[in-house]
Amino acid sequence: MTTIIIIKSVEHHASVREILGSVVDDGERVYFLRLPTVRCLGPLIQEVNPMINYGVDYTITPLPEGYDVSTLVEFATEFDANRICIGISDRTLTGKARIDDLTQSILLHDDISGDFVVGEHAIILEELEYGD
Amino acid sequence: MLRIEFQVKLAGISSHLFDIDEPVKSIEIDNALPVSGDMVFLFLSVKFDSEVTVDRLSEELSSIEVVDVTQAELNPQIYYLGVMAQLSDASVLSLLTENQAIPHRIVGKNAHLEVMASVRDWNHLKEVADAIETEHGSLELLGTTQTDSIGFPLGSNKLKQSMSGKLSEEQLDVLETAYRMGYFKVPQEVTAEEIASELDISRSTLSARLRRVEHNFCALLFGPQE
Repeated sequence: MTTIIIIKSVEHHASVREILGSVVDDGERVYFLRLPTVRCLGPLIQEVNPMINYGVDYTITPLPEGYDVSTLVEFATEFDANRICIGISDRTLTGKARIDDLTQSILLHDDISGDFVVGEHAIILEELEYGD
Repeated sequence: MLRIEFQVKLAGISSHLFDIDEPVKSIEIDNALPVSGDMVFLFLSVKFDSEVTVDRLSEELSSIEVVDVTQAELNPQIYYLGVMAQLSDASVLSLLTENQAIPHRIVGKNAHLEVMASVRDWNHLKEVADAIETEHGSLELLGTTQTDSIGFPLGSNKLKQSMSGKLSEEQLDVLETAYRMGYFKVPQEVTAEEIASELDISRSTLSARLRRVEHNFCALLFGPQE
């Protein structure tokens, strides 16, 4: 199993902890996909410590400047990711998760489909299937 | 189940109504009932930028088969229209129902139709979006939320329609903000000061508006005060 965690902010400790603690299974491959707006994942990785606290092997990959949703879907396709997880960064007045533009674009992309689940701190796109 | 909000370019009956000379602020489809063939009864709430007389409105709508025009009691800028239209004049609504999505709100404003609907899951969302994009060009997804229940489908908001013309914009704004922030829950999730701050009004203004809302609700339920 392969999980991609999209990192939009180094402040997303809670969502990364939720994903590693209750979504990702033991022995899974995890890719932290860093958006160009995030300069460095060091502080986040240091605080969460995926290897020691959650026993997962991970790789950090930056998305290039000027990326679009197709770049992301191509990345997920290349690594045959089973899940894409994104931290919730905004909520409505009633506390519902507000889905960011990137996630909306993934939902409407022709070449990817699956299940959409909203967790406490993260949105999880799982059971992913890819188009031709 | 997913609750989705999206927008497409204005089309159908909303587009016709925005073309009239009187400046229209928003058009909401309150209900739709099928008539034989490709015809449909559409019931609409139309909000104008300024006060419009019934005669002027009837004149403006001469190209549309209007069944009924009713002005909201306390807000002369709002009209409830019943019109006979082609099914294609409500194509977003019919595409939603044809694709088994449940429509909640369809509002035309700012050159767009803003739509809220429920779909089963992500794949269903894509089916519905594809059908609408094929007919209307691009679709912009504004929001997606996981939900356990269908909520209120289009046409089930009779009370809201009855009330909306009886409350001013400011009163509705105060009521909705207070409700959404949890003011009416027990225990309260927010204080009056926090709501007043959110709305950028004083605590006493908030209190006065909420009391007027309560008064109007009571008037609707129990009739006018003797």
